[in-house]
Order: sequence, then structure tokens, then C-alpha cells
Amino acid sequence: MNYNATQSTAPKAPAPAMTYICAECGSDNEIKPKEPIRCKECGYRIMYKKRTKRMVQFEAR
Amino acid sequence: MPPIAKFNTLERERIFKNPSDKSFQTPALQELVAPHIEAFNSLMEFGKGSKSGLLDLAIQDIGPKAVFDMHGGGLGNKLTFWVDEITLNKPMLSEKERNSTTRQIYPTEARERLNTYKGRLQAKLAWRVNDGPVVVETRDMGLVPVMIRSNRCNLEGAFPKELIKHHEESEEFGGYFLVNGIEKLIRLLIVPRRNHVIALIRSSFTNRGPTYSTFGTAIRCTRPDQTSQTNTVHYLTDGGSMLRFAWRKQEYLVPTMLVLKALIDTSDKEIFDSVMLGDLQNTFLTDRVELMLRSFKTYNLHTREQCLAYLGDKFRVVMNFPEDYTDVEVGEGLLRKIVLVHLKNNRDKFNLLIFMIRKVYALVAGECSPDNPDSPQHQEVLLGGHLYGSIIKEKIEDWLNGIRAQINQDVRRKVVGVDFMNNQYFTKTLLKTSGLQDIGQKMAYFLATGNLVSNTGLDLQQATGYTIVAEKLLRRVEDNNSWGFLCPVHTPDGSPCGLLNHLSHTCKVITQPADVSRLPAILASLGVSQTLVPARGQKTIVVQLDGRIVGYCSSDEAKKVADALRHYKVSGTHQGAIPLDVELGYVPISHGGQYPGLYIFSSPARMMRPVRYLANGKTDMVGSFEQCQMGKQTMGTPATAIKYRTDNKMYRLQTGQTPIVRPALHDTYGMDGFPNGMNAVVAVISYTGYDMEDAMILNKSSHERGFGYGTIYKSEIVDLGDFRVRGEPVLHHFGLGLDAPRGWREKLDNDGLPCIGVTLKEGDPICAYIDDTTGKTSIKKYKGLEEGIVDEVRLLGSDNGDTELQKIHIKLRITRSPIIGDKFSSRHGQKGVCSQKWPSIDMPFSESGIQPDVIINPHAFPSRMTIGMFVESLAGKSGALHGMAQDATPFTYNETFTAADYFGEQLKAAGYNYHGNEPMYSGITGQEFKVDIYLGVVYYQRLRHMVSDKYQVRTTGPVHNLTMQPVKGRKRAGGIRFGEMERDSLLAHGVSYLLQDRLMNCSDYSICNVCTKCGSITSPISTHASGALSGVREIECRACQTSQAIDQIALPYVFRYLATELMSMGIKVTLKTQP
Repeated sequence: MNYNATQSTAPKAPAPAMTYICAECGSDNEIKPKEPIRCKECGYRIMYKKRTKRMVQFEAR
Repeated sequence: MPPIAKFNTLERERIFKNPSDKSFQTPALQELVAPHIEAFNSLMEFGKGSKSGLLDLAIQDIGPKAVFDMHGGGLGNKLTFWVDEITLNKPMLSEKERNSTTRQIYPTEARERLNTYKGRLQAKLAWRVNDGPVVVETRDMGLVPVMIRSNRCNLEGAFPKELIKHHEESEEFGGYFLVNGIEKLIRLLIVPRRNHVIALIRSSFTNRGPTYSTFGTAIRCTRPDQTSQTNTVHYLTDGGSMLRFAWRKQEYLVPTMLVLKALIDTSDKEIFDSVMLGDLQNTFLTDRVELMLRSFKTYNLHTREQCLAYLGDKFRVVMNFPEDYTDVEVGEGLLRKIVLVHLKNNRDKFNLLIFMIRKVYALVAGECSPDNPDSPQHQEVLLGGHLYGSIIKEKIEDWLNGIRAQINQDVRRKVVGVDFMNNQYFTKTLLKTSGLQDIGQKMAYFLATGNLVSNTGLDLQQATGYTIVAEKLLRRVEDNNSWGFLCPVHTPDGSPCGLLNHLSHTCKVITQPADVSRLPAILASLGVSQTLVPARGQKTIVVQLDGRIVGYCSSDEAKKVADALRHYKVSGTHQGAIPLDVELGYVPISHGGQYPGLYIFSSPARMMRPVRYLANGKTDMVGSFEQCQMGKQTMGTPATAIKYRTDNKMYRLQTGQTPIVRPALHDTYGMDGFPNGMNAVVAVISYTGYDMEDAMILNKSSHERGFGYGTIYKSEIVDLGDFRVRGEPVLHHFGLGLDAPRGWREKLDNDGLPCIGVTLKEGDPICAYIDDTTGKTSIKKYKGLEEGIVDEVRLLGSDNGDTELQKIHIKLRITRSPIIGDKFSSRHGQKGVCSQKWPSIDMPFSESGIQPDVIINPHAFPSRMTIGMFVESLAGKSGALHGMAQDATPFTYNETFTAADYFGEQLKAAGYNYHGNEPMYSGITGQEFKVDIYLGVVYYQRLRHMVSDKYQVRTTGPVHNLTMQPVKGRKRAGGIRFGEMERDSLLAHGVSYLLQDRLMNCSDYSICNVCTKCGSITSPISTHASGALSGVREIECRACQTSQAIDQIALPYVFRYLATELMSMGIKVTLKTQP
């Protein structure tokens, strides 16, 4: 029983809301997984992903 | 003096900063596509300011359809239905969507969401039973792709400021359709000139049957809605003639005499007189006409009524008219729908048919020559919009016929519920035929594939290849030349430049009909007789207006009339009764030349170009009836709104410059917005030998400063909807589950999409998704061989913005710095391949310390005689020295005022050698060269052919599993065939080791067991192991039952394959072996 309990409470992926940019009005939109792709400001249907905050290194050759 | 060319830097910057909302910077670009857009616009508005368009004319032409329910013995009740009105709406969001601030859909959304830019097509279907009340219902005909910047596009009439706001190019000119995010263009096709009778001699005409000759006259008649029907008159060897036409892809032949007599109430005498036109001495003609009239007596048809009834009886089934039509009515319908359809009046049709008969007899008698259908004189352009309209028309007719067939079937099968009095029955039938109703989907298919699906063939010769991809690159091609047309073998992604014909940039395609209503009156005042049958005894020629005979006059008079008309037309007298777009073709009487006449054309789709009318110096338009000019072709580069583009592959030059040496057209077409090359210092010298054979040496430092640096943008599209089974809920979601390995997280974010800016190598994850059924995370791998950098990630929503993420578009950037093997070219076709990036310190230098960016070999010039490049070199050099642009418009200089002198003086003024030569010093020894070197500035373009896309090397790799030889194809890491001729070459050289290496060791080398006793390579087989412990297996010959004589030899694997193949045919292969 205990075994079963641990399995059911196994850490589920937290729903990480990501911020995207609306292609029409440029406003930031927080969209969680499985949420419709729609701008909250203007209702537009295309989003751009933001540039990563991670370090990006290019080989300068 | 040549005109002063300017860079207009400040002006250009001002326009870029403050795009105008009132005018275009380069109106010429808009004019280029005007024919495409105007033709599409004419679907809704034909003629300036008119409310009705070609589609309205089309539904008029289709007319009502009728069915009968066979109640009470006879035909019973009559149900008539027709399309009352048809409208195409601008692209709008659907009613269901309620969140958006704007209802309009703009092209950029279709482009970015890889969608089709389409508007709703609605038809008002009207029906009535017998003479009862008319019921009207609006039916949805699906979403039809709409041309960008047409009057059904939301960008209609937008100027740069608004265009930029909607993510378009500032000078966007449209003229194409967007289908699945791809820009598609309907090509201009060359078709026979409308409403003009041409004489033909074709051997295929004899195939129609016995007595058919090779002679004929044909006319492509155009209905008001721009659909066409070709009528051909055949000459029979017995002297008669037949009218041929095609209806629903089926050919029919009818005696011309029957048609003539069915058209109007006429007598044999009238027919005789009108064919003879007073020329009674011509016994050739009299004989034949008499024979034709006599032989028609066998039909025993005397009145028009009888002829019509006869025709109607024969064509009742073919024409598919309502069943209650009498034979006469069917006959009249046939004449209306098929025979010389550009004319409404039967008298006009009669006259023109007589003319066709006369022309074919003249052709047979050798009085006139056959017309060349390949000459532009007898051609016109089939505009995309008109073709589009004809397809819509046919689909509407198919739909109506479908409804009719469905009801007929119900009636025949006596299905319960067939009740014409009940409106629900009809609406139910409409539901059953909904497959035919979605015209939008059919139009999208046509545009996407270029395939014409048609029951009638639309009077066209081909069924495929009507559309091309209008990638930005190709569109720039048109900048210099105008729109391409006609090439039945053109492949969209091949090398379009070489295969397309282009209209010259001044050539104009007429899209609107000219108003010629007052022309006949003017003709009459000029002495053209209006009598439709001229008096006997005169030699007269015909005057035709758009394929209608408007009168006759003598040959001398015709010349005067033509001259007078031209003068009126150009000078604009008579209150513009003769518009400038009217085409006058006067053919004088000649023996054995073209058939004489004065032919006037005012219809759309003709090609015209401006010329100067010498009499008063004004501009006149000349049609292709007299001349036509074809243009040239070039290469180009991409767009400015790159961020909003989703092309599959796009090439971009990072370091473009405006050319110093530029023709006036460069500014006219706003080429500075799209630079496609760099001004390079070019030395013409044989240096180091690396510039042999059209190779060129690149200065390594120039390269490092960015000379020719380019990138490729590639699109990767992932659609999880592909995994989804219809009817099931969404089971795949983008995301990175906890089961994802650490390596994936280096490239992907938690949302399963790649981080922007990350570098992808082959096999790296491009995106991840979670499958709900298994709960596992899967990835899609990047398959490209080259490293790509994620540039943009687009999350594409659904039409209504109500579904979760299922489709993404990833734009990858692949850097393409110039490398050895990349191709460059000047604008004179002096193309070369980069052979070395030579270190700057070893490059030669001039007295002023200038090093060339590019070195080319002097041998590139003598045989090719590209003098233009020499001149550009001079002009570029002086332009750079004086800091000014140089004009390069052709025909500015002449023998007495040469370009060499003009630029030579400029060079002299700057303190340089008059001829452009300079002393130079070796970069290696520092010594001065014994000759002066021709050094100048030339605009160099980078061509798209790069080694990275072409190289093909292989040591080992995939092999074909039947032959064990290397596979072919660069994509599969295959090899290049070393064929028989190459083998012969190696044999001739006597290099047997190399031969062995290529054909055996690097190919299908294999070790094979052979039985030296019987010589077979097929019989030795592996049997039981010799010892229980040893894994060594015994080989034994099955034929000789011994393993003593088994030996191993090296053989090509295909030889073993051959041996088995031969064995299967019962042929034994025996090898004679020697130790």
C-alpha cells in the first residue's frame, strides 16, 4: 500500500508557464502547456519564442 | 553627357525611416504585376468602376438548369434552379472566433501559419417549381484562395506604411496566392489570339477521317466571361468543308452548310454571293461553293427551322439541355453555346463563318499563306485571373449538374420523398452534393499542384504546370524583366532562369476591355461600307472588330482607314472614341501572303508595348499583331521582411552594397532595397596560377571583413497533428517530461521547443513531445548534415485560436562564409569559382597601396568579349575615386563619345592612368611587375551554387544490397558512377592498379569459394563444423561431394550474382582456376 502511495505521488512535471511574444501586438503572454495559443491582448494566433537566457557561445573562426 | 546617377542615400534613409502612406517609392514595381492583379480584380469588377465581374458573366452564361419529376405520365413538374449571385469575400475570421481585436486576416498570418490566404465564396442559389415563387438560399462554396493585393485582399490599396505594419515588404506588389504558406503564382500562358481567324496547314487534320485535307482555319472565340471555345473549319478534298468543335473534351464535326443555314434564314444565292464577294472570275471558288450547296441537298433540309431541328435532334444528349426543350431550341442553344461564341448576333456569326470558309479556300488555292501560330502576331496571353475565373465557372456548373444528376437519379429510382413541392427535398439534395460544393478546396488544389482537373479542358492544351512557386528569389528575377510566361516544360524548383520566357519590362498586358462602341460609326464615316453582302464586281477586303465583320472596303481605302484610325487614336481626337489600347492590324492584298483585311482588336489579354508615333511624337501602343519583344534574365537575392517569412529555403547575403555602376532601371525598380553583391577591387592578372580556368583568387582579408558572407535560412515544421487519429482527442503535446535525458535539455527548454540561439548538429533533438498513452517523451531529430543555429521558433495556433499547441515552425540559420569552391560572378556573366583565399600580405598591391579583393585571369576576356566588364571596371574605379555613382544605362555612349574616354578623363582627373592600368608590385617579392595591371572596381555577386551543397565524396559507405556496389546519390552518401568510358580511359593509360582499385576494391570486392575441380562458384556450401569444439566450418562442393578442391578467390560481387541469375536460367558458369 505504501508502495502504491509513493507511485501515485511521484513528482509530476510542474506545469511550467513559458513566456512568449505575440506576433501581432508584441505583448508578453504566459502560456502553460495545453493552453490554447492565443494572445491575451489581441487574440492573435501566432507566438514567437523568446531568446534563451542561457549562455550561447559561438565558435569564432 | 550621360545622365547623372546618384546613390540617393539620404532620400532612401528618409523613406526607410518614415515609410509613406500615400505613395510607393517605386511605382514601377507595382506596374509590373498589374496585369496579374487586374485580371484577378476583373473577376469581381470587369471594366473600370463596374459592379459586375467575370464571375457574374459566368453565372449568366451557365444559365438555369431544370429537372422533371415525371409525375402523371409526361415530364411532370419542372424544377428550375440557377445561381443568382456569386460573391467572394475578403479573408475574415470565422464567426466562432470572438477574442480578436481585428476581424480581418492579413497575408502575413497565412504565410507564418503555413496556411492558405482565402476568402469565403458564397452563391445565391435560386429555384422555382414550374412558374411558382422563386426560393433563394445562400450557399457556402468554401474558402477560395485570394490573390494578394487584389480587391479581395485586405491589403488592397495599402501603401508602404500600412504594408510594413502588416509585416509585408515595404514595396510589396502581390499578384500571387498563398497556399499552405507557399507563394504560388499562376503563369501567364500563351494562347492563340482570340477572335481572330488563322489559317493552318496541319498533317494531323487528315486523321479526322477520309477526304479530310491538311487545310483548315481556326478561331479561338472568347465569351464575355473570358472562357473560350475554338471552332475549326476543315477543308475536305471533295471541295466541301466541315466545322469542328470540342465539347466536354469530345470532338464533333458538322457540315458548315448545315450551320450556315441554321444560323439565319438564308438562300443558296445569299450564301453563294457572300462567299464569292463579287469575285466571279475565281472558278476555283465558284466550283467549290456550288458543290457545297449541291451536296447539301442530300440532307433534304430546306428551312432554318428544319436545320435547327436536325442539329437539335443529333445534339440533344450531348448538350444536356432541359428535357422540355424542343429540337429547335436545342439547336439554337448549340449555336449559342458553341458556334463562334464571341458573337451574339446570328447574322454576325453567319458572316464570320462565311469568312472562315473563304479563308480556307484561299489557303487551299494558295492565295494566302498559312498563319504561324507560334508567332506573337497570332498569340495573346492567358491571364491567371481569367483562368482562375474559368475554373470557378466550371466548378459552379459541375455543382449545378451534380444537383441535377442527383435529382434525376432519385426520380429514376423512385426514391421515397421525391417531392418538388417540398423545399426540404431540394435542400436535402443539396446536402448530398456537398462534395461538389466546396469550390475553395478545389481551387486550393489547383494552386498548390498546378494541375487542372476539368471536364471541359477549358479549351487549353495542357493539364498541368499552371502554377509556379513565386519565391522571393524568383520574384526578383521578374524585377528586371517583368513576369515570366510560357514554358510547358518549366519545373518550379529547377533552374527557372534558363527556361522561362519573359515579357520585356515595357510590355504591357491589357486587362480591361476598351470602349469601342463608337468605332463602327467612325469606320462608316471613313468609307467602310456597312452592307453586309457587298455588290458584285468589286475587289473588297474585310474590316473586323474583335472578330466581328463590321464592313468591307477596297484595299486602298483600307490603308487610308488604318492610317486615319491610328492618327485619331494617338492624337486622341474624336473624344477618345478610339482608346490607345486598341490594336490596328492592316494586312494589304498580296498574292500568297497573309489573308488581307483590317483587323481591329480591343479585347483584354493582348500584349502591347509603347512606341513613338513619328507623325506627332506621341506615345502609341503597338500590339503583338505587329511586333513583340522578349526580355532577358538575371539572378537575385531575398527579402527585407525576413523575420516574417517562412520559406523552406532562403539565401541571404549579409554584406550587400549598392553598386557604384548602375543603370537607371536599378532605381526604377528599387533594387537598392535588395542589394545582391559587393563592389570589389578587381585585378586582371595571372598571379600564382590559382586563377586559371575561370577560377578567382579571393583576398583572405577581404573575406575576413565579410566579403560575400552569406547565410541560408531553412524551415523545419513539426506538426503533432500528423500523429493524431481522427476522432481521438489530442494525445501528443510539446513538452519535456522528467524522463528526458540530460543531453536533450542542453538544446531544449521545458516546453519541448529548442532554445533560440542554440546550435544543432546532426542527430540533436529539434523538439520534444510527450505521448499521453505511454507517458514517454520522444524527440524529433535534426537531420541536416550542416550545423544550424535556431533563429526563430514560431508557435502556430489554429484558425480560431482555441486549440493547444500542435504545430511549430523552426527557422534554422546555416552560416555560409565563402569557402574554396564557391561561385561568384560579375554582372557580365564572368562567373568563377573561388580557388584560394590568398593571404593579404602576399597579394599584389598598387602604387597607392590598394590590394585587389578579387584576382581574375586575363584569359577570361578574349574569347568572351565582355567589354562591359572592362568599362564597368573603369567606371567603378573612377566612381570610387570621385565618390559618386556612375550611370550604366545602355546606348548612352557612341563611336564619337566613347565610354573609355569619358571614364578615362575622370581617372586622369583623379591622378590615375587614363586607361585604368596601374603599376603593381608582387606581394611576395615586392618587385614591380613588368606590365601595368588593369585594376578597377567591379560589382561582384555571390551565386547560390556553393560547394557545401554539392560536394560528394565517399570512401566507404552504403551499398546496394543486391549488387553490393556503392549506391548513387549525394543525399545517400553515395558515389559517382565510374562508367565504361572512364574505364576505357584508365585502360588506355595502362594504370591497372588504379583500375583494380576503383572497380574492385572500392566497389563490390568479395571473397568467394570456388571448387577448382568443377569450376563452380555456386556449388561450394558450408556444411557441418569439422570438430565439435572448433567453430571452423567446413566448405564442401555439393556437386563434387568433396571439400578438397575448395579454394578462395576474390571476385566482384555482381559476378556471383550473375552466376546465380544464369543458374536460374539453366546456364552453368564454370571458372577455370590456376594456382
